Amino acid sequence: MIAQGSTILHSACNEYAQKAELVATWCLGKEAGASNPVRRGIATYLHAAGIQAGYSFFAPNVPSQHRLTLELLYEDGRVEYESPHVRGKTAALRLESLLDRLADERYEPAREVLVKMLAFSVWREHPDVKKIRATFGAVNPPAMNEFEQGNTETFQPMFSFDFSLRDDQKQ
Amino acid sequence: MQSVVKSPGSQISVGLSPLRKFWQRFIGFLFPPETDTWLAVLRSGLGLQVIVYALFLRSDWHYLFASSGKGLVGREVGEAITAFDSPLIPTFGWLVAFGRNLNMSEEAVLTVAWIALLSAGCLLLLGLFSRPAAIVAWFVHLCAAESGGLLAYGADSFMTTALFYLMLSPLPDHYSFDHWVTKTKPKNPLLLGFWRRVLQVHLCFIYFIGGLAKCLGNGWWDGSNLWRSLIRPPFTVVPPDMLVRFKYALPLLGISICLLEVSYPIFIWSKRTRWIWLGCILAMHAAIGLTMGLYLFALVMIVMNLAAFGVPSTDKRAQATSATTEQ
Repeated sequence: MIAQGSTILHSACNEYAQKAELVATWCLGKEAGASNPVRRGIATYLHAAGIQAGYSFFAPNVPSQHRLTLELLYEDGRVEYESPHVRGKTAALRLESLLDRLADERYEPAREVLVKMLAFSVWREHPDVKKIRATFGAVNPPAMNEFEQGNTETFQPMFSFDFSLRDDQKQ
Repeated sequence: MQSVVKSPGSQISVGLSPLRKFWQRFIGFLFPPETDTWLAVLRSGLGLQVIVYALFLRSDWHYLFASSGKGLVGREVGEAITAFDSPLIPTFGWLVAFGRNLNMSEEAVLTVAWIALLSAGCLLLLGLFSRPAAIVAWFVHLCAAESGGLLAYGADSFMTTALFYLMLSPLPDHYSFDHWVTKTKPKNPLLLGFWRRVLQVHLCFIYFIGGLAKCLGNGWWDGSNLWRSLIRPPFTVVPPDMLVRFKYALPLLGISICLLEVSYPIFIWSKRTRWIWLGCILAMHAAIGLTMGLYLFALVMIVMNLAAFGVPSTDKRAQATSATTEQ
């Protein structure tokens, strides 16, 4: 967090934080090969004890919310807008968690696959859709004084994908 | 004749070197004699937590954890990320592969897993088959947290941690049905004290890191982060119009949260300040649950705090139990 310069600390601290991060990475065996038994042993323990992730929830600052909008294009030219959805509120919280991860650069290689799967989950409910345009972006809420002046949230697109379903997949 | 066992560090150390004294005090800190009341709180609280978790996810269970093409994103991506870390971490993929050998469909395996989790929660709440129930609850929950790793959030990590400690703690406690049925011998108070200490130290670490990270963000000092977190869907329980009325209280609340968390490891140990800090932390988690709809997160944190610091240390009772154990 400090190494990425996302805190109020002076930028001079970033360099030290980067060095500390390297030491921590080494201690956790992450510098070793993927099949290294020490690395695997440490990783297994961390996951089993639920301590593989940090404890900086909503810190140093509360991140923006993210939204995935799916533009459904039908054969007859109709256009509808949908978003991936679940039934329960707890599961909705998990979907939000997934969308926040999509915005993270570390998940960049998996973005297209994940967005495709999310689009496919909606596609199953609308089998006659010809094409889907998925637009992902950050939703920036208004500050309190902006809200008092009547301003609302703003949407900042980050990336989009077009998916078309092949005939054999439709079956 | 009764022999009262004291904490290893409580022995009088006259004429010992400072290093040895320090070592004895350290061991005394790690192994304080405890009764199993805190363990009963942890067991029953986590039983309730597991039941609520399973019931909340009931309608989406298959949709979240089914393979690609059937579920939301398919569990394969999450499992691949987990397997990259280590193939020894359990996932639903293991259970589905095992079920295939028994001619069970993926859907049937997921249903059995859900029933097992709910049953383990009920058994933990009652204290029946406490240890096997704790192991099953930890294992199935870990499978869910790892297979749905992309969908996981803070409550999952804390649940895994709490169930991990519960599974390793000296179960059953004397409030459980297990104790009434089998009349088990009282557990070693030093071992009970050790596991409670582990939980206490872990909580201190969690709050200190969380508090420090918040202190390093400018938005916690002016209340803007509190505003952002409370109006951020899907956490919007309190209407923003109502929040605006408390706009002068938000910076104060934001700073209070930072200070409360970062100073937790200092003030939670002193008997004078423990109840104030514990009360404030419990109130904070209750407020998070009610105003942001993070019920699972709130419940698991309240249970962990109550088990770690909410049950008073009863040295005399623990020593008496210890004496009985020795006899």
